[in-house]
Amino acid sequence: MTFTPALLTLLLTAVTSTAPPYEIESVRLRYTQFHQTGVGYQSAAGPPGAPGSEWARVEQPQAEVTARLGERITERVWIPVDVVTAASPDHSRYDRPYDAVDTVSTASRSTPSGTVDTFTTYHWDRVTDFTMRAAFHIEEPFESWIVGLGASRSFAEDNTVVGVSANQILDWFDHFSLDGNRHGRATRSTTNVNVDVTQVLSPTTLASFSYGGTIQVGTLGNTWSSVLLADGSRGEERLPGHRLRDAATARVAQWLPWNGALTLSYRAYLDSWGIAAHSSEGTLAQRLPAGLTLRANYRIHWQSAPGFFTIAADPSGLGFRTSDSDLGRLHAQTFGGALLLDLPLARRLRDLHVDIGYERYLRSDNLRVDVTTCAVGFRF
Amino acid sequence: MTSPPRLARSLAAFAAVVTLVLATAFAGCVVVPQNRRKHLADPMMRFQTDGLDAHAHQKLYGSREAAAGGDGTPAGGGCACQ
Repeated sequence: MTFTPALLTLLLTAVTSTAPPYEIESVRLRYTQFHQTGVGYQSAAGPPGAPGSEWARVEQPQAEVTARLGERITERVWIPVDVVTAASPDHSRYDRPYDAVDTVSTASRSTPSGTVDTFTTYHWDRVTDFTMRAAFHIEEPFESWIVGLGASRSFAEDNTVVGVSANQILDWFDHFSLDGNRHGRATRSTTNVNVDVTQVLSPTTLASFSYGGTIQVGTLGNTWSSVLLADGSRGEERLPGHRLRDAATARVAQWLPWNGALTLSYRAYLDSWGIAAHSSEGTLAQRLPAGLTLRANYRIHWQSAPGFFTIAADPSGLGFRTSDSDLGRLHAQTFGGALLLDLPLARRLRDLHVDIGYERYLRSDNLRVDVTTCAVGFRF
Repeated sequence: MTSPPRLARSLAAFAAVVTLVLATAFAGCVVVPQNRRKHLADPMMRFQTDGLDAHAHQKLYGSREAAAGGDGTPAGGGCACQ
């Protein structure tokens, strides 16, 4: 027992003497609001036999702190919070009574959710980094654990960077029926691998190519979406228990001689439910005087529907079925712009960043989302 | 369900993509010295402005389209996202 204080002192000395210096590199705050209007067949908040309201509003504050621990470790701690109306049923945990399901009853509930996400980068040497991600997400009927590992290495005098990463997500959520009753819990596992290559093509051109593969197993719906039946009533959604998803993206960024930049991207998607999608996006940025940058962006997305999508399902059928408009055949466009201000400062605070932006998302089934965002960031 | 032809097509796509990635990675087609890469380091040349902005877009698209995932981010996870 007499050794204990001495041992503790020794351990404390060892820990404090080897602890790397801790230095905050940047702090960023962003606030985004999504305002959605439109209707969808999965929502029962409408007249019988017709699509229901998909009205929703999401308030999304986010905070991010990046810190350097010594020469080799960079730590990013990120906390996004979502406050969603009309999104999901209230939870039954902590012995609280739960309410009926929003999309079946009233589209007026408020569901806050939050995530704590940590991303650690270990700089192995000048050209090699290892990364580790650990995150936890919670909202009323839902919890999610996320872990990830990755590595990147640069070649050819940093002209080529190759990265690989893998993520595992476990979702755990309440299983609700259409009448709002809870039937225990459901789980979902998502395993994801990514490979990406970034290549310098010229002193003004950069290209990137990435592939992401995802395998999902378990309850892949939210359990409370409804399906429109041929007799005008509604039945439960039934989805396959697994899903294999492939996505490949090519990007190119070109510096423009008038102090601007153009980035273009194309993404192809294919999954085992039979959904194929193509998305193209372009962003044009122009530097202005006084540290200002003006940015405009446009995106177009096409997707096909799975074979089991229906808005008139057989009431006695036992096969897979969904009326979820998000899974339907559609095309969508996003256009928007942003004004960014970057000011170099002196002494302790190196840079100040402020931006404000607006985007409109329009879908071929008349769903519309207005997105307003603003951010402030400091680099030390 | 994953039918064998569709699974085969997915695996073929995966193989093709990986081959292309590796070929691109090790081609070493261009080497631009560091002192000529200042434009490439400009923030305007980034494919994503910042992680918080990327998350906002992931929220916008991931819960409204059936084609999320890849791009270094997993599909699913969180809310009822497709």
